[in-house]
Amino acid sequence: MEEKEVRQTLNDIREMMSKSSRFQAISGWSIIIIGLYAAVASAMAAAVIGVGNWLPDFENLHQFANLNTPSRIRIAALIAIGLLALSLLTLFIFAIVKSKRHNLRFAFEKRTVQMSLDFFIPLAAGGLLSMALVMQGHYGLTSSIMLLFYGLALVNCSHYTYPILRYLGYAELILGIIDCFTMSHALLFWFVGFSVMHILFGILYVIMFDRKK
Amino acid sequence: MAIIDGLNKVFESKIRLGIMSVLVANGSADFATLKSLLELTDGNLASHTRSLEEAGYLRCEKKFVGRKPNTTYIVTESGRNAFAAHIDAMERFLKECRG
Repeated sequence: MEEKEVRQTLNDIREMMSKSSRFQAISGWSIIIIGLYAAVASAMAAAVIGVGNWLPDFENLHQFANLNTPSRIRIAALIAIGLLALSLLTLFIFAIVKSKRHNLRFAFEKRTVQMSLDFFIPLAAGGLLSMALVMQGHYGLTSSIMLLFYGLALVNCSHYTYPILRYLGYAELILGIIDCFTMSHALLFWFVGFSVMHILFGILYVIMFDRKK
Repeated sequence: MAIIDGLNKVFESKIRLGIMSVLVANGSADFATLKSLLELTDGNLASHTRSLEEAGYLRCEKKFVGRKPNTTYIVTESGRNAFAAHIDAMERFLKECRG
């Protein structure tokens, strides 16, 4: 056996071990749908907060309801929590359907739990932090904190699945950092990070991983 | 050219090494998963898993999911050891080449 051949064999083994232990149950379609949910949520939040001059039907909603700024922000926070719950439910249902269809049963074990923990620990920390800030009346950095912690959560769990997930994490982090240093336009950043990015990434994911099979 | 000590005859086939890589990394895998990961035909995969089973490196569990038969392959302790020893031998060989 030649040196080159042995090296190649070891590389093949390494690749097969990591490829086979990847968490493949996530469906690209669910990522696209989550992006669409986020677009609807952004429009609702814009209507409630009152930045949506481009939404003539909703523009005066908050004036009818006679809400002050803190309660409007709180409603927006509730919308965000609802969006999170709906997104997780969608992700989960699509993952079950996909793993049934492609016989990925073996991927639904210890790894799923570990990946979920790695994802949810940063996400929960960031979620609690932004909730605390909203409750104490500091709204300015909420969207950047959400983007930053979501990006960290993605980077943190990406080694369990396709490495490309890491790049979505990086993109969210960069967007969050720009958002930190930008006055206003918070909702726009939030919309780009949670809607546009998910739709684009979801399409890429479907093309790369879901259509092949 | 140095002769490599400790290389396992059973693992001379790349397909068998591939099967063992998947099993060692995951503990177990079913037939369909192995087939799609290694891009093999049914008959090819079956003959290689049979020889690994005969060597005592894996065991298989057959059951029915609905009406479809489903075979799961599980790596044994001696399979893990043999795989590790084989990789050690290859790494030692590479070190000797460099040194």
